[in-house]
Amino acid sequence: MSLKPYRLPRDELMKLQKDRLGALIAHVYGGSQFYHKRLRDAGIRPEEIRTKDDLKKIPFTTKMDLRDNYPLGMISVDISRLVRMHASSGTTGNPTIVAYTQGDIDAWAEMNARCLEIAGVISNDVVQVAYGYGLFTGGLGLHYGAERLGTKVIPASTGNTKRQLKLMKDLGTTVLACTPSYGLFLIEAAREEGLEAKKDLHLRVGVFGAEPWSEITRRRLEEGLVESAYDIYGMSELNGPGVAMECRSKNGLHIWEDQYIVEIIDPNTGEVLESGEKGEMVVTTITKEGMPLLRYRTRDITILDDAACECGLTYARIKRILGRTDDMLKVRGICVFPSQIEEILTGAEGVSPHYQIVVDQEGVMDRLLVRVEISEDFKTDKLTELVALQRRLEEELKETLSINASIEIVEPKTLPRSEGKAQRIVDMRKV
Amino acid sequence: MVKQFSVFLENAPGRLSNLMDVLEKNEIKVLALGIAEAGNFGIVRLIVDNDEKAIEVMRGANIAVNQAEVIIADLDSLPQAVDVLGTKNLNIDYAYTMDCAKVVIKVDDAKKAIEALSNAGIMVYATKC
Repeated sequence: MSLKPYRLPRDELMKLQKDRLGALIAHVYGGSQFYHKRLRDAGIRPEEIRTKDDLKKIPFTTKMDLRDNYPLGMISVDISRLVRMHASSGTTGNPTIVAYTQGDIDAWAEMNARCLEIAGVISNDVVQVAYGYGLFTGGLGLHYGAERLGTKVIPASTGNTKRQLKLMKDLGTTVLACTPSYGLFLIEAAREEGLEAKKDLHLRVGVFGAEPWSEITRRRLEEGLVESAYDIYGMSELNGPGVAMECRSKNGLHIWEDQYIVEIIDPNTGEVLESGEKGEMVVTTITKEGMPLLRYRTRDITILDDAACECGLTYARIKRILGRTDDMLKVRGICVFPSQIEEILTGAEGVSPHYQIVVDQEGVMDRLLVRVEISEDFKTDKLTELVALQRRLEEELKETLSINASIEIVEPKTLPRSEGKAQRIVDMRKV
Repeated sequence: MVKQFSVFLENAPGRLSNLMDVLEKNEIKVLALGIAEAGNFGIVRLIVDNDEKAIEVMRGANIAVNQAEVIIADLDSLPQAVDVLGTKNLNIDYAYTMDCAKVVIKVDDAKKAIEALSNAGIMVYATKC
């Protein structure tokens, strides 16, 4: 099976993007009560919006809009055209629903197939999808993409790690798609089953996403699990996984600009930033039919880079996600991203990559504590060296975060493990 | 030279008991033990009667453990022994007693220390029992 051509020259891509933006605005103005009202309230006539620059006039769409219009108040087509609904976990109140037409499902599969292709996956590969299947978009998104590319798919979903490993071994899995934290967990789990993943399994490509991860995690995954680890980006509101993907140059994730328009804004002021500046990613879905979104605030922090890539793809790249505006902890007024802490811990000798961040209060002052597990084969018998390791990590944290943080070294396997998204933050402050 | 295990434990009630349970259930006898603590964690140093089995069961119980070489001498010879080690510029990292009459000594170079002590006529135990 071959994919629709997507390796377009940059000028053609930009023209396509512009044409599709015009069509999208007409589509939502005519099809969505929500956007019709929103544009009218803002005094915008649909024909005013022709270019990416014109988008600035349109108010942002937020997760709150999706919640407020639960379940299907955001759709732009007649309900009869919908073929699928996914829902994201709502910890409080309503979940957010995303709805797809057949055209949306096809385009989404195509994007995921491209993602796999630019990571070097070919039709002969055996792809084990260990993202959750069901309401979560991760499993089905990658699944359709892998099928579209003509690979052999194992819809393993999450959990049952022993069986995951057995299937990898017995069916000769060559591509693994899962969260990076589950990837790290698999390295340990394989050892417990008497398997050395790098030797006994044949995982050529790892497609890791749904959580921000670091360069050092990449090294650990490549040393212990897969030959080559790639970052994939997506979110349910924008279809699901497959919105952006690393190519073999591994220097940012190409975002499918024939499907999406990306802006980077200052999360505090909403002002659009220049290319190369760090801020919150705001996305307009220009090809979605069922539930397109205009200027959706992803809450993900990144940098947009539209310089040419050595891989030859003309699609702009986003830097791997540096954090989320909602994961972002404000500790003593300073923004702290868990990814900054992870980078330090995973680079340190003597501790494992498993950690937990605890924020509490001492009087009126916030206190930041980072708990990290010691390596099972730590390299010293001297207490002074362990204390020195603790101090060194505290110093590195202070240097990176600009606030004091305490390190607590704990015993192996005592911090909670995740088989889905890692839950590493415990905020005990009284609001 | 004798093998010593240094186990990382959180400094909290019940942690040492967990370690001892693991060893006892596997019929491993503790011949000497020293504890050092620093804030929320500590190191428990152990000499046991079956090194191979001990490392296997501790790994199986996800216990973080480091292995080092130590020497065992008679407590009686300690004044003379530390003098010899000092003269040879061999630093003692730490030491603890064993069986009331013996002392376990950790130096950075156990082999050199044994040589120095033997040359000075100080008995160093070749085995643990």
